Amino acid sequence: MMLPSLLILAAISLAPFFYMIWMSFHNMSLLGGAGITSSWNGGANWSRMFTDPAVGQGWLAMLIYFVATVGLELVLGVGVALLVFELVWGRNLALSFILMPMFIAPVIVGLLGRYLVNSSYGLYAWALRQTGVYGGAIFSHPVPAFVSVVLMDVWEWTPLIALITLAGLVSISPQLLEAATVDGARYRQRLRHVILPSLTGVLVIALLVRSMDALRYFSTIWLSTDGGPGNATKIIPLRLYEVAFRFFHLGYAATIGLVMLAVSILLANAFLRVLRAPKAQS
Amino acid sequence: MSNLLDSLRAVGGKRLRNLLVVVVLLWTLIPIAWMVLSSFKNPVDVVSSKPLVTFHPTLANYRLIFSGSNNLWPYIRSSVVAAGVSSLAATALGSLAGYGLARSTWRGRNHVAFWIISTRMAPIAAVILPLFVGFSVLHLINTIWALIIAYLSFNLPFAIWIMEAFFAEMPAGIEEAARVDGALRFQTFRRIALPLVTPGLVTTAILCLVFAWNDYAFAATFTGPGSQTLPVAASQLITETGVNWGELTAIGTIVALPMVVVGLAVRRYLVRGLTFGAISGE
Repeated sequence: MMLPSLLILAAISLAPFFYMIWMSFHNMSLLGGAGITSSWNGGANWSRMFTDPAVGQGWLAMLIYFVATVGLELVLGVGVALLVFELVWGRNLALSFILMPMFIAPVIVGLLGRYLVNSSYGLYAWALRQTGVYGGAIFSHPVPAFVSVVLMDVWEWTPLIALITLAGLVSISPQLLEAATVDGARYRQRLRHVILPSLTGVLVIALLVRSMDALRYFSTIWLSTDGGPGNATKIIPLRLYEVAFRFFHLGYAATIGLVMLAVSILLANAFLRVLRAPKAQS
Repeated sequence: MSNLLDSLRAVGGKRLRNLLVVVVLLWTLIPIAWMVLSSFKNPVDVVSSKPLVTFHPTLANYRLIFSGSNNLWPYIRSSVVAAGVSSLAATALGSLAGYGLARSTWRGRNHVAFWIISTRMAPIAAVILPLFVGFSVLHLINTIWALIIAYLSFNLPFAIWIMEAFFAEMPAGIEEAARVDGALRFQTFRRIALPLVTPGLVTTAILCLVFAWNDYAFAATFTGPGSQTLPVAASQLITETGVNWGELTAIGTIVALPMVVVGLAVRRYLVRGLTFGAISGE
């Protein structure tokens, strides 16, 4: 019963993977349109990659972006879930509204962000100017540009963490919470000693799921700052895309891609290990 | 006395919580509302230096994108076909394979499961390269088939995992009874197992649809005139001479609205779907 799917997956994922390894040892370029030429160049792509400052910069931007987005989403997502969980009235309605950004295409989020922070007619740029927080052109300066691409991602994906956390909150036994309340524990104490410890398993899964997607998507940045200003927001997938489809160095791009793949495989491995651990969650 | 203080604090806490919920809702909804509002603005209002909340609404943007030689219909058709076909194929193949995986006990099962999930986690920027070369060689570039196959590369592993989780939860006893009655394996699957996981099938199909519909990176790389999807149409409104924000927000609304609706329709099963079955949710 698994055969058809496994054959298809082998054709569209396993074969491409081995082909990428082959590509990484070749000098492949794309000649205007369909023509692709390739010649063996040994480990040149690999040695080039390890000394390429642009690639190093891409990974650094990726690391900062990753820590900032996933960190903020985790903290805010748990916060939002706790808020929604305590809602007596309108909980389902509030949750439905809060989940909306998740379903909006990352491209649209990027374009919308670009519109909102435009220095001459953007709503958020206007609000920041009026309140005296920031008056410059947001995408023209590295730090404001970076902050805005981080916030776009936070806007879109915090709901996912909130949703997963809420599922964890719902599954905490009411008796446990009640017992803590009867014992006179304040909200903060209950949070620290009862609620958060019970959420650990769920939060690890939320973190891993989010981390894997954080590596996958790059369209939001692509369509907003396009890696700019300069290379300030050029995370590694954007750099890879540029190497492949702007400079047409497919072999070198494959080398960068293999390292990204290795990172995602490590994350998937961690995810599985958490899943297979003695059922602490769900 | 201390009781009184406590209840006062409780009332204050409740106020604060409600206030925070309002802040979260505003942060979430303002960009969406602004996009929808802007899509009803005329070209002057949409780039007004002072944001306009009251204005004369117009349908001109929608009328424009649906008329003329370069109208939106072909893009909509490509989006519907690419996302729809890949979602249905992934759900059909994925439920078969998911069933097989859930009922299999052979050694190496975990390795296959790991391979499947790591396929889903692979960074899109990396996957694009070998697929691009493969599609070029097979002359699939600029056809809708390229997109359908590319979307299967992430939707099929996703569908297998989720369906596996749904089948694994189903008591095996029911199927054994059918087996004893002499039903073949496929019959047991079709007649007994499949109807019991209808919510799983619907959730899988919808989430696959959302992932494919919202893709930009594959669509921007593999399609040409005739197979371009809605996110590509949106990105094309960004030109050297400026951005037509009225039409762009109109397309944004058209891209976002259906996915928000179908996504929220399966809200009960979202947690399970989006954590690859790791957390069962409500």
